[in-house]
Formats: sequence, C-alpha cells, structure tokens
Amino acid sequence: MDVDLLAQAAVSGLLIGGLYATMAIGISLSWGALKIINLAHFTFILLGAYLTYQLTTTFGIDPFLMIVVVFPLFFLAGALLQVFFEWAKVDEFRSLLISFGLFIIFTSLVRTVWTADFRRISSEDNPYASASIFIGGVALQVPLIAAFIAAVVIAVGTSLALSRTHFGRAVRAVVQDAEMARAFGIDPRRVAVILSGLATAYSGLAGVFIAMFQVLSPTMTFAWFGIVFSVVILGGLGSPYGALGAGIIVGVVAGVSAVVWGPLAAPLVTFVLLIAALLFRPAGLFRRSPA
Amino acid sequence: MTSRTKTLIGFAVVAVVLGLVPNVVEALDAPGFYLTFLFTMFFWISQSSSWNILTGYSGYFSFGQGAWFGIGVYTTGILAAKHGWPFLVALPVAGLVAGAAGLLLGLVVFRLRRLSGEIFALTTLAVSFVLASVARLTSLIDGGTGIFMTGTPLPEFLGDFRTSMYRMTLVIALLTVLTAYLIFESRLGWGLFSIRDDEEVARSLGVPTFRYKMTALGTNAFFGALMGGVWALQIGFVTVEDVFNIRVPLLVILMAVLGGMRHWMGPVVGAAIIYTLTDRLNSAGLADVNQLIIGALLIVMVLGVREGIYLRIRARWIASGVMFFGAMAVLTVFDLTSSLIWDFSYALLITMVMLLIPTPLWERLTRRRVAAPPGDPPPQQPVPSGTAST
Amino acid sequence: MSLLLCTSVSKRFGGIRALDGVSASVEENEILGLVGPNGSGKSTLINVLSGLYAADGGQAQFGDDDLLRLTPEKIAAAGVARTFQIPRPFATMTVRENVSVSYMFGHQRHSLEAARDAATEWLAFTGLEAAAERSVDELTLHQLKFLELARALATEPTLLLLDEVLAGLNPTEIDESIEMIKRIHERGVALVIVEHLLRVVTSLSHRIVVLDQGRVIASGDPTEVMEDPAVVAAYLGGSKPNA
Repeated sequence: MDVDLLAQAAVSGLLIGGLYATMAIGISLSWGALKIINLAHFTFILLGAYLTYQLTTTFGIDPFLMIVVVFPLFFLAGALLQVFFEWAKVDEFRSLLISFGLFIIFTSLVRTVWTADFRRISSEDNPYASASIFIGGVALQVPLIAAFIAAVVIAVGTSLALSRTHFGRAVRAVVQDAEMARAFGIDPRRVAVILSGLATAYSGLAGVFIAMFQVLSPTMTFAWFGIVFSVVILGGLGSPYGALGAGIIVGVVAGVSAVVWGPLAAPLVTFVLLIAALLFRPAGLFRRSPA
Repeated sequence: MTSRTKTLIGFAVVAVVLGLVPNVVEALDAPGFYLTFLFTMFFWISQSSSWNILTGYSGYFSFGQGAWFGIGVYTTGILAAKHGWPFLVALPVAGLVAGAAGLLLGLVVFRLRRLSGEIFALTTLAVSFVLASVARLTSLIDGGTGIFMTGTPLPEFLGDFRTSMYRMTLVIALLTVLTAYLIFESRLGWGLFSIRDDEEVARSLGVPTFRYKMTALGTNAFFGALMGGVWALQIGFVTVEDVFNIRVPLLVILMAVLGGMRHWMGPVVGAAIIYTLTDRLNSAGLADVNQLIIGALLIVMVLGVREGIYLRIRARWIASGVMFFGAMAVLTVFDLTSSLIWDFSYALLITMVMLLIPTPLWERLTRRRVAAPPGDPPPQQPVPSGTAST
Repeated sequence: MSLLLCTSVSKRFGGIRALDGVSASVEENEILGLVGPNGSGKSTLINVLSGLYAADGGQAQFGDDDLLRLTPEKIAAAGVARTFQIPRPFATMTVRENVSVSYMFGHQRHSLEAARDAATEWLAFTGLEAAAERSVDELTLHQLKFLELARALATEPTLLLLDEVLAGLNPTEIDESIEMIKRIHERGVALVIVEHLLRVVTSLSHRIVVLDQGRVIASGDPTEVMEDPAVVAAYLGGSKPNA
C-alpha cells in the first residue's frame, strides 16, 4: 500500500472531517438541547449548497462571500422553524415526523427548481474547486481547508458561547430544567428559537462549502445520513468539540478505508461505526460513561 | 356473534371478492392495468401493516423496512434465480431469513439497558445501509452486477404473470393484515400497547417486554421480506440501488402515519390513499408535486389528524360513506373520467377533503344540520375533582 | 419467616451511596412504614425492590426468590407490585383498559376476555367504576392515584409497595386514600408505605423503618421510633452529609 496515498487520504480525511463536523453540529445541537431530531437539517445543508451554486452562477459572487449571505438567512429560517415547533406543541416523536415532512418538501422543492440534473459551480465562478496547497507532497484542497478552519471556529465559538456567555448559561439551564430556568427569568422558548437559528445557520454554512467542491444533486442528502449520524452520536449530543473530534475521526477512517478497500467500503465503514456507537457508546466517545 | 367472528367473516368475504377480480377482469376484457394497480396496492398495504405491527403497536420507531424488503428480494433472487429453487419454496425461506435477521437485531438491541427510541430508530436506519453495502460488495449476493428475475418460472395454477403477481400479493397482504388484526386483539397486542405507552411501567406489571418486542420485530421482518420476495419478480432486474433505497421505508412511514398507527386498519387505509395519490400524480406527469404533497400531507396529518384517517373515518363514517360511494357512483355512471382508477382517486380525494376538516369546525357544521332537540342534557362534564367515586 | 427480608441492600449512583447496606423485613399482612428525610433513599429502595434499578449489593429474599436478581416482569409475577409517586397511567388507554392490561399480565396470566370483566372488580374497589370508559387525561390527580392502586392490585400481589401515594392530595382526598389503604390491607396484602406525612404513616403502620442517607437508623413501633432522638435529629438536619 502506497504510503503517500494513505497519507493523502488521511490528511484529506482530516480536513473533510471538519466539514462533517459542521454538517453534524446543527443536528447535534437540536437533538441535545432542543430534544428534537431535526431531519430538515439535511435539507438545510442541501439548500445552502444549491443557493450558493445559484447565486455564484447568476451573479458571479465569490463562493466565500456566500458565507455572509447564508448565515443570517438560515439563522432566520431556523428561528422561524422553531417558532413553528413551539406553536405546534409537539412531542419528540411528532417533531421527528414533521421534520421528516419538511425534509420531503424541501427535497422536492430543490428537485423542482433545479431538476435532478447534476449541478456544479463552473470553475470560472469557483476558482477554488481545483485549487490546492501542497505541503510535503500532500495536496490540501482549498475548499476543504476553508471548511476545516470554519469547523474549528464554529466548534470553539459555540463551546465558548455555551460555557462563557449569558446565553450559553441560559441554554444549559433550559436543557437541564426548563421550568426552573423559567423561574429564574429565562424564557425557554426564546432560547430554543435562537439555538435553532444557530444550528440551521451552521447547516447552511456546511452547504456553502459543499457547493465549493462537490457536484450537487437533490438526492445527495441520502449519502449524508450515515456520516452525519455517526458524527452526532460519536461526538455526543450537543457537544461542539465532540462533533469536531468525531468528524475528524469519521473523516479519516472513511477516507483511509476508501483507499484501502475501495470507494464502496467507506459508507459501510461509516455505518458500522454508527451501529457500534449506538450500541456501545450512545453518549459519545468523549463522555465518561455510556449514555 | 362476537365482533371477532364478524371481522373474520369480513376477511373471508374480502378475500373471496378480491380473489375473483382477475376472473372478472378477464371476463369483461378490462385493461390488465387494473390488476397491476391493485397488486401494487396490496404490496404497500402489506408493507405498511407489517411495519405498523412493530412501530405503531410497540412504539419502537423503525427506519428499517427497507432492510427486510431487501432481504426478501435478494433471498428469492439468489435462491430462485441463481440457484433454481422453486419460487414458492424460496419465498417463505426469504421470510424466515429476514425474521431471523430481525431477531438477531433484536437480541442485540433490545438487551441494551439504556436503549432509547431514537437509538433504535437510527440503528435500524444504519442496518439498512449496511445491508446495502454488503450486498453491493459481495458477489455472492450481488457484487454490483444485479440479478435477473425475469423468466423465473411460476407454478401454472397461478395464471399468467400479472395474475400470479395479483394472487400472490393478495394472499400475503391478507395474511399480513389478518396477523395485524389478531395481534391487535390479543394479549400480545395489549402488551405491545403498554410498552408503547410506558415500557417501564409495563415491565413492573409483568409484561414480558423483551419477548413481545422480539415477536413484533420478527413478524415485521418476516412479512416485509415475504412481500419483498414476490416483488423481486415485479422489479425484474434486481439491483442494489433499486432495492435498498429510501422509497420503501419512507412510504410505509407515511402510509401508516396517515392511516393511523393506533389501529390495524390504519396502514391499510393509509396505503390505499397514498398509493392511489402517488400513482395518479405520476401518471399525470406530476411526479415532483407528488413528493411535495406527501410531505405537506404528513405535516398536516401529524398536526391536525393525530389519530389517523381510519379513526377519523370511523368517527365520521356516515359522511365518509356517503361522500365516497356517492362520488364513485356519480363518476362512474356519468362516465366522467377515463378509468375506474381515476374515479376511485377522485372519490378518495373528495372524501379526504371532508375528513381533513378540523374537528371543532366539523362539530359545528354537523350540529347545525342535526339540531339537538330541546331538553337534551348538556354534554357530559369531566368528573368533578375531590371525589374518588362519582 | 418474613414475607420479605432485605439484607444489606446497596445502591450507588456515581459517588453517592443512595442505599448503604439497608436491612429490613416485611412480615405477612403487615403495613410497614418507610420514612426518612429527603434524599434518604426511600424511593430508591422501592425502585430497587421493584426491579427498576439494579442493586449493587445485598439480597431481598421474597419466598424462593431474591428480588434483586429478578427482572421487573418476574418480580410482578412473584407477587410484588408497586405504585409510582407521580402516576404513570397508560396514556392511550381508557381507565378500564389500564386495569385489564394489568390483570392480564400480573401474578397469573389471564386472557383478554377474562381481563375485561375482572377489571370491573378492581375499578369498583377503588371507586373508579363510573370513570371506567374515560381516557386518563380526564382524571384528577386523586383519581389517577387510585388508578395506580387499581392497576397494582389487579396484578394480585402479596406485597404492595406504595411510593408516596398521598403526595399532592388535599385533606379530604388523604382521608379517602387512608381508607383505601386500610381496605387493601384487609384483603390480605402486605404493604410498604413510603410517606412524608408522618402522622399518617405512624397511625397506619404496624412498624416503621427510618432511613437517613441510605442507612436504617431506627425501626420498630411507630410512636417509639418517632420519639427516638436520632430520628428527630435526622429530620431536623443534625446529621452530616453523605461522603
């Protein structure tokens, strides 16, 4: 086995692991803090990607600038979604079903607007797709580097926000005991809305990076299930650093497996990892005791 | 006559009536498409009913219907097409293989002390994908080349291909729904319902939760694969992409949720409605709108019709009967559409619209039409607090 | 030969010893009061005995079985039932169905048909007959607690563990509940009553066991025990926190 090839796979895996973390952190926060498994996050990632594709193609905007566009837009969308959930007063199971319905609706919207044809930002609108930085014989794709940096920023930022800021404390209070938090003047609904906005913004952001180096299709979300849920479970619900760590692990393992056993092995490995995580460490790799 | 006897007689009548449809179709020289429409509906009725036996009854949400379906397809594919087994022998074997796989899964997953519903759901999702990957990788199973099912010989007494498919799917659908009914009205069923409502309390009352969950899971897997095995013939050329995709698990969830997960008839009604809807939208060239409508319908159902369409029909059975049969009658007598299936779907649509009217509005509408005579006692108040006996 | 003999029952939650070598007994047909300040381990003991928590040590001999080695289902089959402090009825079932399900599975297995009729007896016993076909979200707290009792009784237990069955009730309801407990006892069921209302427990129980921080600090005649200075100190907060 070619060592260079393995090294390349590992490094690319590490970087893409950052992207996986960003894809997963939205669901992780939703699930951990809001107790909702929000399947719509997959379509938010998708929408972020397609929106990036469309705006860069139509207006020639630099894909990186899309971060500035997508973040507030998706924050708003996430906030509105949570307002809807609060209004509907649904339990966990029903919110899963509703998010499932949204997943179906958004996917079909994407298919209707952009058709099932593959879409890719042209290289003139997106010079980064093929750009790489070379360090010691290993190529680091620029979009992946950017995604990785973003993932680190998100993980650090969110973690600090949760531990240091007033809002972060409010979130933790609400997660532990919403009624008690209310007694202390915290409005659980407001906390939930802001958190949902943040989670959705992260998902949209992941989409921006995906658009920078991948070919888009409406059904690409299905390939993400295994990866995202592996990262969510392995990283521990609601843990930003956990998501980052788990993302890197999944990225490296999947990337190296693909090189060693062929591209079909990667999803198999990811899902086996997921099953192992679900059965043996449902609280994540980084928590002390299982669940 | 007990209600059980009545229901069983009902099953027998339905079996006979539906069993005669191919003969009627042939006698009337009607398009064979009617048979295809019906046997596809039987496929979905069976899949969603078997799914509901696990998820609806026990509350353990399964994303894994695709796994059982896939096992069914590939087992018959390998045994019948690759190794020449008689199809009707390969079929129950496929069911048993899936049943065993389900029990194996249950053995691992249900033994975990802190298994939550979400973890079970994700595990079933992951298992489906793992099976797909394994199927793709192993040439024993598929290896990426696919399996040709066309030309697999079927016993003569079943009739031509379409009639064979019809008869096989009918039998399996009847068996599945009958099983769902028998479980519903049994200790097993009530045990499952108590697990759904509060498993810890159920255990403390003596319900053998592990055994019952295993039974539900095994039954779900068995029937999912049995129907899958038959469906392999319909698919014709079996490939991993065709078989292990999101379609089956997704649609069964929708069908059972729409029809109602709390009653054995729910998935039957839900399957009939959703299949008719998707089929008609597809044939009208509106496949994308299809998904949009289904997604919206799911949300509307979860929010507005929590008990499911079947129980809603029961609550408004007079109006439902009148609207549905009335519409069917008008559409067929006046020959307003190009086929019976369109008649059926429009009648369904009209009845659905009526059924979706929110309950408070409905009660106001119906009370206005059927005014209560003066002197009626007021509606029953909830029992006043502070007294144990009323 | 005691009906139930607990020897050195222990349960830890992380670093906290919720039960630290609890030994106690319940005699046939007696009412045993289980009291103690908050956090003393009363509910934990009930949960361990009914199989909801796994004990870390000790035994609970009930006839031929050690309850600590049995699953909750087997414990119910052995004839031990419990109620929950916050009522947990089966939310999608009617009152009658809640009781029939219990009857179907408890100490002896009964058929569906038998259960529907038998439920009537338990509903009548707890005064819920008129509410039989109601769904449980229409019931008051008091009725829900009686439903808990009916459901537990329908498993035909020899030993019934009541976890704070009086919590949240007003004085009239409390008096009715006390009557109910006495009637249950008259049927020959032994009872363990976990309770905060000391006047009630002392008047109802034949014997009392006092827990503090997971240990038994006194047991015996109710009046004597409650005057024991160690017990008084425990309630007034004189003892040190658990390490």
